[in-house]
Amino acid sequence: MGIAQENRVEVKSMLTAVSSKPSRSARVHPFTALDNAMSPHTLHVIVYYPRSPFGSFDLDSVRISLSELLSMYPPVVGRVAKTPDGILEVKCNDAGLRTLKAKVCVGIDEWLRSADGHDESDLTAWGDMPEDPSTWAPFRLQINEFQGGGVAIGLSCPHRQADATTLTVLLKSWTEAQRRRCIVHPPSFSPLPSILTDDTDAVKPNSATISKPISTKTATATFRFSSSSFKKYIEEDGIFPKASPFDVFAALFWTRVALVKRKSHDRVCMCVDFRRLLPNPLPYGFFGNALNFSSLEMTNVADQGIVHVARLINDHVTNLTVEKIRSDLNRVGEQELMYGGDLTIVNMEHMIVEGDPMMYEAVFEDGVRPVHVSYRIGNVGGEGVIMVMPSPEKGFGRVVSVTLPEEEVSKLLVDQEILRFEPKIILSGVK
Amino acid sequence: MPQAPMPELTSSVKLKYVKLGYQYLVNHFLSFLLIPIMAIGAVELLRMGPEEILNVWNSLEFDLVQVLCTSFFVIFISTVYFMSKPRTIYLVDYSCYKPPVTCRVPFATFMEHSRLILKDKPKSVEFQMRILERSGLGEETCLPPAIHYIPPTPTMDAARSEAQLVIFTAMDDLFKKTGLKPKDVDILIVNCSLFSPTPSLSAMVINKYKLRSNIKSVNLSGMGCSAGLISVDLARDLLQVHPNSNAIIVSTEIITPNYYQGNERAMLLPNCLFRMGAAAILMSNRRSDRWRAKYKLSHLVRTHRGADDKSFYCVYEQEDKEGHVGINLSKDLMAIAGEALKANITTIGPLVLPASEQLLFLLSLIGRKIFNPKLKPYIPDFKLAFEHFCIHAGGRAVIDELQKNLQLSGEHVEASRMTLHRFGNTSSSSLWYELSYIESKGRMRRGDRVWQIAFGSGFKCNSAVWKCNRTIKTPKDGPWSDCIDRYPVFIPEVVKL
Repeated sequence: MGIAQENRVEVKSMLTAVSSKPSRSARVHPFTALDNAMSPHTLHVIVYYPRSPFGSFDLDSVRISLSELLSMYPPVVGRVAKTPDGILEVKCNDAGLRTLKAKVCVGIDEWLRSADGHDESDLTAWGDMPEDPSTWAPFRLQINEFQGGGVAIGLSCPHRQADATTLTVLLKSWTEAQRRRCIVHPPSFSPLPSILTDDTDAVKPNSATISKPISTKTATATFRFSSSSFKKYIEEDGIFPKASPFDVFAALFWTRVALVKRKSHDRVCMCVDFRRLLPNPLPYGFFGNALNFSSLEMTNVADQGIVHVARLINDHVTNLTVEKIRSDLNRVGEQELMYGGDLTIVNMEHMIVEGDPMMYEAVFEDGVRPVHVSYRIGNVGGEGVIMVMPSPEKGFGRVVSVTLPEEEVSKLLVDQEILRFEPKIILSGVK
Repeated sequence: MPQAPMPELTSSVKLKYVKLGYQYLVNHFLSFLLIPIMAIGAVELLRMGPEEILNVWNSLEFDLVQVLCTSFFVIFISTVYFMSKPRTIYLVDYSCYKPPVTCRVPFATFMEHSRLILKDKPKSVEFQMRILERSGLGEETCLPPAIHYIPPTPTMDAARSEAQLVIFTAMDDLFKKTGLKPKDVDILIVNCSLFSPTPSLSAMVINKYKLRSNIKSVNLSGMGCSAGLISVDLARDLLQVHPNSNAIIVSTEIITPNYYQGNERAMLLPNCLFRMGAAAILMSNRRSDRWRAKYKLSHLVRTHRGADDKSFYCVYEQEDKEGHVGINLSKDLMAIAGEALKANITTIGPLVLPASEQLLFLLSLIGRKIFNPKLKPYIPDFKLAFEHFCIHAGGRAVIDELQKNLQLSGEHVEASRMTLHRFGNTSSSSLWYELSYIESKGRMRRGDRVWQIAFGSGFKCNSAVWKCNRTIKTPKDGPWSDCIDRYPVFIPEVVKL
């Protein structure tokens, strides 16, 4: 780590993928207050496949299924525009999804072993919205082909326009369209239910969203924990019966990161998707942001046992009621950065539907499942982000990715408590 | 139609009519002679009565040899007559290429790419937007894959792969529809105006389908949007010479290498209008195809105005100041097209118009010449001669102009307008998309006559007249199969972009 490398990813070409049917009405997709609060951040999903479904690229059937899918998602192929009142919205004008093709000069296994967070960011398109967004594509797809086969499909967008669940469902629906299956989670563009939005003010005009550059250099590392390590922990250390793997791993990382940061670091921001937490659950296909950010405090967390912290986390998540979600939504404009203002822990348990992790079910060809799925947030605040994601193996395993200042990540990589769980460490840049 | 060119027109028309009248007289001279003779003979016979006729007959004393010789002579003459009659040329079937949805070009995408590529030339971008707004194109027209890149990648490889994609898909479909085996193709004509690689596109087709080594193949390039009908004319001539043969015509225009990359306004116009398309047509002179053929070719008239300098230069390929090659369309294109059309219809009019129209036209001509020069010239009503019209979808202005000149109703030009909307200007293949539209609407009945008019650089105006051979059921597949129910659509004068 820290060794300068030349760019291993080279973008070869750029084109615009269009939807298959024109969207007939001049539709407009507005942003909610929550959407606007997410605006400094960008969202990136990277799905790694051992075998690429792309061939000649221009005439692939995968391109046709992408076009058919884009017909169902007019806001994805639209362009952001400002109303005369200065409010941003999406004009669904069919302009298209920008698609970039890139080549990686190493193989996929070598990449997963040796690439670090900065390398991985080359796999998706970055870049903030310019002053005049009329010709700027908010959603960008990047197809990165590895040497010797394998592909990483990167999809990025401003976090204002979609959350991780939306992008995951979109990619999964693409694979379903490709395999001529029924689309399990079709998109839903209805606004947030009134039970959540009754008290919120009308959407205020957006101030200029200039992202502050993060002063410290951040790094990302990904830890893969298997089912057996979780089971081992429960046997060895004992845990309360209702503990989920999220509680355990979130607690583990909170305590270890707090130790590394050497602050008492008693406050974290918990990010939970509230689609299924409402009395009338929103469908998974709900398009936009449906994230709840809530604060959680514990004094001297570094010295606490994992059991204690896990119980606190569990209580916090289980007690997310509609009223709590609504009050958190009302306060959403107060923070400047939703991710990283405090250490943020992202919960993705809802993506495991009936034991199957949704992102790993995005399969283009039978038998070729993704080997890894990364989620990256752009313009994260200095305190960092811990993401607890489902594992490709179903069960109690989890994949945890941490984005923190560089020295903190290097300390975490040799932390004994974490290594006790025998994680497989990937995408950390370790040679 | 402007009044100024009328005196020249009437003088040239007058000359043509005098010539035609003279031809009629000469062609039917025998009948003009025979009729009075037969009349006199009949009167004589009636006067003579039956016994006198018998007496005359017996006195002639015919013997066997004389009778046989006379009958052989008669049979010989009639054989020569039937053999020298031109063969009927059938259009067995045709197939139009339908591009994949990934090649679709919505207005917003086109304008966005234009802004990104021409970012230093906002005036050129504005010009393109104005053209696109008034073009009559819809949001489902298609450009080849190479043009979707930012910036476009018009390599020779990309051009070849576009050619392979459109031509082979259309031909596969044609082989499937007609059940023809590739080794049974006798004549192959490929026309593509602006892309002419070595080996030629016809050689590419022969290579792909393993056609016979003694095939008569021709590759026409550089002949513009009317090359489709030129190919039909060539096929007809070849099929007159070769008995019991069939001919495949492939009409296309390869867009990839010809996408103008500069920013000269007059040369940006084709970028806004030309789109991807191809058609493969099977023609035959075999008697066995009589039952399954869709159309019979009645007439094909080619008019070339190249002798006139203004017509020659009006569609001109040249380099702009920066060295980019593009096609310059002159401002008087419509006027020249009008003149070419008039030249063509004065030739085709007498061939297809019923005698009543021709007589009326003649009388009005006489009236204007002799009695009152201020009389309005009589424009023959072509709607009496044809049930369907396929006007090359060169652009909205062309269709508007022809609709006005020929006094056609909205329904007559519907096929052309809707083809322009759905597929854009696909150059030589657009006539076949229009014909397919009429068939898909279920309007083609046995005996219907279709007039296909195409314009091309040079300046040429070619027209073909087909007669429908059998009532055509609405096709289940074809370029219009998934969208015909949405048509006709109302195309506004200006689409707000």
